Amino acid sequence: MVSKKNQVLKKVLRGEVGLFLALVAIVILFTLLSDYFLISKNLFNITRQVSTNLIVAIGMTFVIINGEIDLSVGGVAALSGVATASVLVSTGSITLAIIVGILVGMLVGVINGVLVVYGKVQSFIVTLAMMGIARGTALFWTDGRPISNLLEKFGFFGAGFVRSIPVSTIIAVFIFIIAYIFIHRTKHGLYIRSIGANLEASKLSAIPINRYRIITFIVSGTLSGVAGIIITSRLLSAQPIAAEGLELDVIAAVILGGASLSGGVGTMIGTLLGSTIIAVIDNGMNLVGISAFFQQIVKGIIILTAVLIKRRE
Amino acid sequence: MGKTILEVKNVYKNFGGVKALQDVSLSLKEAEIHALVGENGAGKSTLIKILTGVIKMDEGEIILNGEKTKIENPLSARINGIVAIYQELSLIENLSVAINIFLGHEPIKKIIGWINNKTLMNRASKYLKEFKIETDLNSRISEIGLGEKRIIEILKAMSINAKILLFDEPTTGMSATEIDTLFRIMDKLKKKKIPMFYISHNMEEIFRICDKVTVLRNGRNVGTYKTNAVDHKTLVRTMLGRKIEEEYPKRKLKKSRDILLQTEDFFAKDMLKKINLNLYKGEILGVTGTIGAGKSEIGEAFFAVTKKIEGKLRMKGREINFKAPIDAYKNGIAYIPEDRKTQGLFLNYSIEDNLLITNINKAVIGKLFISSKKKRKFSLDISKKLRIVPLDMTTSALNLSGGNQQKVVIGKWLIGSPEILIMDEPTRGIDVGAKVEVFNLINNLADSGVGIIILSSEFQEVKNICDRIIILRNGEIVKEIDSKDITTEEIFSLSLGAGDGK
Repeated sequence: MVSKKNQVLKKVLRGEVGLFLALVAIVILFTLLSDYFLISKNLFNITRQVSTNLIVAIGMTFVIINGEIDLSVGGVAALSGVATASVLVSTGSITLAIIVGILVGMLVGVINGVLVVYGKVQSFIVTLAMMGIARGTALFWTDGRPISNLLEKFGFFGAGFVRSIPVSTIIAVFIFIIAYIFIHRTKHGLYIRSIGANLEASKLSAIPINRYRIITFIVSGTLSGVAGIIITSRLLSAQPIAAEGLELDVIAAVILGGASLSGGVGTMIGTLLGSTIIAVIDNGMNLVGISAFFQQIVKGIIILTAVLIKRRE
Repeated sequence: MGKTILEVKNVYKNFGGVKALQDVSLSLKEAEIHALVGENGAGKSTLIKILTGVIKMDEGEIILNGEKTKIENPLSARINGIVAIYQELSLIENLSVAINIFLGHEPIKKIIGWINNKTLMNRASKYLKEFKIETDLNSRISEIGLGEKRIIEILKAMSINAKILLFDEPTTGMSATEIDTLFRIMDKLKKKKIPMFYISHNMEEIFRICDKVTVLRNGRNVGTYKTNAVDHKTLVRTMLGRKIEEEYPKRKLKKSRDILLQTEDFFAKDMLKKINLNLYKGEILGVTGTIGAGKSEIGEAFFAVTKKIEGKLRMKGREINFKAPIDAYKNGIAYIPEDRKTQGLFLNYSIEDNLLITNINKAVIGKLFISSKKKRKFSLDISKKLRIVPLDMTTSALNLSGGNQQKVVIGKWLIGSPEILIMDEPTRGIDVGAKVEVFNLINNLADSGVGIIILSSEFQEVKNICDRIIILRNGEIVKEIDSKDITTEEIFSLSLGAGDGK
């Protein structure tokens, strides 16, 4: 009986509850180490830091549970930011600028999806190439220089507050709720997961697999675009080198959240917790004064540990 | 008979609450081919896994050549010379036949670890000669047929000095000639005094090749017989622990002339030659032939899985052109693929998710949101109807027996009430009891007006279950006949191209 109880306990701890407890432990640790950690200003800082990564990670979760990968997210975020800023500078219309920024992300997603599904090229290759193309386009377009001095009003999305809650956090929470419902409560979510779990069986179960496989890339591209706009808004400047290495941080968060790179497995809650843990560790280590170089080592070890714990089943 | 090589004594194994093996004892003598039979879940595979060190037994002893031996892991099984030939092949597709035979223990030149190609080829061709096999040693595994692959697996086992061979359903997917070759090789091994365990559902094979047969039921050894001292019926009765009234349940034939599905000059390069066939309402049509005769291709064409086929397809007189499986599904066609584990099921999904994946719209509120309540209700309804065990809808498909897995695959299509049901090898790898249930299900569906196409290479099954039979050979229809006008033997010889057997 005892062993059975232990087994159940182990299962729970390996799942999202375990991840949550890990987050709580990390928060307690940093609270003890730094007086500035658990104050509301810093917590809002963290949520703002989480928000852009979480938005991209949500899109990445779509792609990963579908059994694919999207390496182009960082490049797309930069390209969308540059596109948004250019439109803003030339037309002065915030609405138009945002629409263009989102459309750019969406378009890259469509291209990724079509190449993977109809071109039958592995997503790793397609999006690796697209990573370069998107980043290169952003750099070429701006000649490598940032587009700065944007309209003050545009800063609302990245740096603004509604009742002292960061706007970017509100946007991220909103996207998270929709994505959660879509993946976990609708038939579309079930199909996306099924395709990742067994492509052949999904096809033979009369699921329109091509459509769903393309959709996941569109979601990822679009959300990368949204994140690019928020980053640009926060800085009031579009940096063609923004979001460099974002893809790896985001993939790490999704994997930390329990998704499997072979597809079919993963949850939105897991992605939320994974992104938060990484952001909290980043923030905490900065406050405690750990060198930026050493931080990377710590993050790497955390990811390996998390995956190894999951493996021991 | 010779001396005892392997003795299994009082073995117990539990998985959670399931008693997989209880007090099982049996022995294997020199040069003996010993069949293990039983329903799915009777414990055959568990026993094999214990002998090969994949899982550990809870209690019991293994005695090898008179000495108590501990088999802790696959490596120690191998060191003791116990080697299993699994269904899932362990060969590497991109490497040559010769390399595959010696993979892991290649003859190596000292010092730098260079593979000694000459020695390797010499030794490999020695094996081929010994067993009279004509495979080209230089061809890649991906270039040879399934039967040849399984034979290379055996050679691989011999190359590591296997002393006991375990075969788990080795003839699955093999053609008649390939089976002949396999049996010839097993005979050779027998002459070399190598004992073998042989797991199979196929009674004919067991009586043909095996010396002894042990029946497992619910994890217990319920009897060991000499194959020449027992008959088919007794064996089946012992396996089931009950008498089965009829292996092939009969049904009353209602002839209908309403054509559901019609092909006109179906043609695929190198595979099919101008196939014209009709499927009537409420009919069970058997399409049979040996492996590679083109059965599966026809099924795949109806369900738009492949686009390799040219020609016209009509449904109730209307010409149709499906682009993807979803179009076929929307038009009332259901398709149960050959390999349920990789094509039919989501092994990690629960029974209910598997059952509802194609019909999720029925359990959806507002066209979008899945209702767990509705999902549970629909899946329970169909599971009760099909007698799926267990009735716990959250059980994952992985943990079901083969028969129940097949019922889930069938069930997921029945929820959509199809008009045409295409089944590719519907009873492959499922036990006698489950087979009868599947046949009853097929009969009931046909009685309710569903047109059923069974693609099968089990001639006996085709003869006894189908109303009408189409025999294919090399992609061509060689005979179309009512099943009552032909015998199993005739189907067999027509498929092989040995005249009409009369």
